[in-house]
Amino acid sequence: MISTMKVVVMAAALLFFAPLMCVSQGQQAQTEMQAVQLIGLGGVKQNTKGQLTVINGTLRFIHAKGNVDVAATSIEDVVTGKDSQRVIDGTFGTVASIAAPYGSGSALGLFRKKVDILTIQYRDADGGLHGAIFTMPSGRAEMLKKELIAQGAHTTIPMQADSNKTTPAPKEQKQ
Amino acid sequence: MRLNFRNAAACFVSLGLFFVVPILRAQERQPAKTRASAIQVMNIRSDAIKLPTEFQVSLYENLIDQLEKRAVFQRVYRDGDRNASTAADLVTLQCTVVKFNKGSETMRQVTTVAGATSMTLRCQFTDKAGNSLLVRDITGKVRFFGGNLKATYDFAKKAVSAAEENFSSVAARS
Repeated sequence: MISTMKVVVMAAALLFFAPLMCVSQGQQAQTEMQAVQLIGLGGVKQNTKGQLTVINGTLRFIHAKGNVDVAATSIEDVVTGKDSQRVIDGTFGTVASIAAPYGSGSALGLFRKKVDILTIQYRDADGGLHGAIFTMPSGRAEMLKKELIAQGAHTTIPMQADSNKTTPAPKEQKQ
Repeated sequence: MRLNFRNAAACFVSLGLFFVVPILRAQERQPAKTRASAIQVMNIRSDAIKLPTEFQVSLYENLIDQLEKRAVFQRVYRDGDRNASTAADLVTLQCTVVKFNKGSETMRQVTTVAGATSMTLRCQFTDKAGNSLLVRDITGKVRFFGGNLKATYDFAKKAVSAAEENFSSVAARS
């Protein structure tokens, strides 16, 4: 009898606490990264350093004087520096510029800052258009963009992996 | 001795008049400013020329920032702001990219003479009825020091100066 009671209590506990555990695991999965807000966020000075994270469907910029939240669903466009480079220079241009920045080879590598750019455009409650630009360590912008899109943000330039995906042509049936 | 003092005073007055009169005349010749208490800044258009999104956003935000700082207009509305429709004597500013040279910060650092970033935008100010009030091509550039985006700040400052010369939120001078 006691053992049956124990089993019931444990089952009930699991039933109640399992969703909480899932939520906490989900929050842990959120990435937080160092970023600099160059321009655009309301109430934040230009070139403000802080942490950028996507949490509970919002893009949160945490800086010394407070937090700024932008709902992912209000973001009309999220674009990384590589995206715009790809659109303007084309894939070949991007590869060439990485191999020989500014036509100079690796001699100027010291001057080239290893940063990624993330640009967002979003609407406020009155429908007013805002734009914000962030810089962050190289390779992070794509990750953040992916997270934002998963939370409901829109983009005019699809992710590189997605755009490279091509539907395989149906094989001709051998007769 | 007294005569010398009189001569000096006369010279001083005539010199003063020589410099002040042209300035006063120039001020009289200035065209009357158009009265406008509010402005709506539309998103930067770059249909013919491909402009990186970060430049587009930086141009738009710097423009709004400068308009708010210089207080040429009592209210500054963003693209799509529903409250703009209720504003009296509203002016709309639409900027279109006509020329863009991305340049290179690295080249500027190394050579100090090459790698300038420049962009020219056609700025069109229109009234509520859509009548054109002012059209001007404005160029923003960064020549020697600073990141590429600094050209957008230079453009915004010049565009707001153009607005300041032609519009006023107080009663127009006749």
